[in-house]
Amino acid sequence: MSTYILMKILESAPSRYDRGIRILSLGKLNKIYDRLTAPIKAGQRVLDIGCGTGALTLRAAQKGAKVKGIDVNAQMLEIARQRADAANLTQNIEFCEMGVAELGSEAPGRYDVVMSGLCFSELTEDELVYTLKAVKRLLKPGGLLLIADEVSPGNPFKKILSGLIRFPLVIATFLITQTTTHAVRHLPERIEDAGLTIESVKLNKLENFIELAAKNPEEVAK
Amino acid sequence: MNWLKYVIVTLVETLLRGFPFPCKTGLIKIGNPGRDAPVFLTCNFQLTVERVKRALKGMDAYLLVANSRGINVWCSSTGGLLTNHDAISVLKTSGIEDVVDHKTVILPQLAATGIEMKVVLKKTGWRVVWGPVYAKDIPVFMEKHLVKTPEMRQVRFTWDQRIEMAVMWAFPFSAIAALITIPFWRAMALPLISIILVLPFLIFLSFPLYSHWLNPKKKGTSFSKYTVLFDFGRIPLIIWGFFLLGMVLFGLRADVLSWEFMLRWGIASFVVILLINIDLMGSTPVYKSGLHEDRFLKIVLDENKCKGAGFCEQVCPKNCYEVDNVRHLAAMPRADQCVQCGACIVQCPFDALYFRNPKGDVILPETIRRFKLNLLGKRFVKVA
Repeated sequence: MSTYILMKILESAPSRYDRGIRILSLGKLNKIYDRLTAPIKAGQRVLDIGCGTGALTLRAAQKGAKVKGIDVNAQMLEIARQRADAANLTQNIEFCEMGVAELGSEAPGRYDVVMSGLCFSELTEDELVYTLKAVKRLLKPGGLLLIADEVSPGNPFKKILSGLIRFPLVIATFLITQTTTHAVRHLPERIEDAGLTIESVKLNKLENFIELAAKNPEEVAK
Repeated sequence: MNWLKYVIVTLVETLLRGFPFPCKTGLIKIGNPGRDAPVFLTCNFQLTVERVKRALKGMDAYLLVANSRGINVWCSSTGGLLTNHDAISVLKTSGIEDVVDHKTVILPQLAATGIEMKVVLKKTGWRVVWGPVYAKDIPVFMEKHLVKTPEMRQVRFTWDQRIEMAVMWAFPFSAIAALITIPFWRAMALPLISIILVLPFLIFLSFPLYSHWLNPKKKGTSFSKYTVLFDFGRIPLIIWGFFLLGMVLFGLRADVLSWEFMLRWGIASFVVILLINIDLMGSTPVYKSGLHEDRFLKIVLDENKCKGAGFCEQVCPKNCYEVDNVRHLAAMPRADQCVQCGACIVQCPFDALYFRNPKGDVILPETIRRFKLNLLGKRFVKVA
């Protein structure tokens, strides 16, 4: 019976999540994630915040990195585990059901890379501030923060345009995946405020999707 | 200005009650709280937050608003949108730990289906106290030094709540009917809009008169098994068919039969059928929704595991439990009142409670804690 329940569970929102996101990003998300994980090297320790069904986690593990994927959604993690299993990557991956508020329990300077795809836009304001502080603490000196997410355009005209285009997409996203997002404002500035230096920023034409890499500066000699 | 906000929020969000209205999460100061001020937690449905703020008026306290995606406490907790993670998150990230010297947080009782006191304590060190169901009981609850009377633990379906639910159905649907009929079929506008406006009020205001006969355990096509969105059953359709046949006969005899005549009466009667088939029981806090097959589940109490801790009694919104403090054992003298919310199972520290379906399969507390219920049935269990 447990398998039956599991099947039923998978029939609900998380199973549609991957497909839904793929449709809504018009297939671009795969390429974006490939680009985002390009700097990851074999043997590195990587943390995936809000790993969901494991899109970024699996990519990093394929490159030989040791990845920890955290998410608050048990069902998403269930699918992520199955995918890791199918790809024969379980020895490189650890999935944990935990939220960003529990990052305080991780040892400082533990990770070479912290990455996050479409998660920051689901966080509350307080969580975002807390997460950026935690990331700064968890990264080794010289470690990288990689983010792909929805952001609010700085240009007022593009902001209005983006809002108009987003509105039907937000409704469609909610119907398919039952998650809502709110585009993050001033993300690069806030990452710098947390003490990281921006390495590269790539915005799409509408300036509402960001691919960002930031570095934890090497400790300055006293 | 605060009262104006309260009035506007109440008005708009009562009219559109079926939709989520998220507000800002985090820490809110009530009055002039000191380092030993009580800490309350609620969801981020704006209407709830405004009501809790009003209930706490005159007190010095902190209010934590957790991210429930703009949905009320009971629905979000039971549907898996207000979870341990959201409670842990607001306790750790809102800065509350910097402003008070204690670690006791008062949670709304109805959050007990989603937030586990054991997990919150383990992960944050915060002790959870289950407050009353309704925010308006908080002042008395505080005066009684955090002790709840059985009345404070019980959900009710009072006339004001029934009006709110009627508005929730009447307003959006009559607005849609108005948008369609006024430009395209003016003759139909008034009768259709008035049916949709009046019928939900009749249904909900007369609720106490017939609620006695509603049977949530009934299988098959019943008065309100499924909502219109899914399957509204055969019997209403058969009745509708007979009604249409009657209209044809009437039309022939009175010589008024035309496509326009049939279409108008057909649509008007169909709307009536849809409205009375709307998931009526699911809109009340006293019956399980006909949409959830969970309503066939039975709570089983394992007397060997029960140590009479009494959390079940504290969180049951229907006062099903009584705890024998001498024998250290819980009992369910009012088990027939159960709405299968699962709060008791989620909170029992000894795993002494579980669900059993009519086939005899057991659904363990572990499963119930992990997979919540929602409209698409994350915890959906097929029953015979």
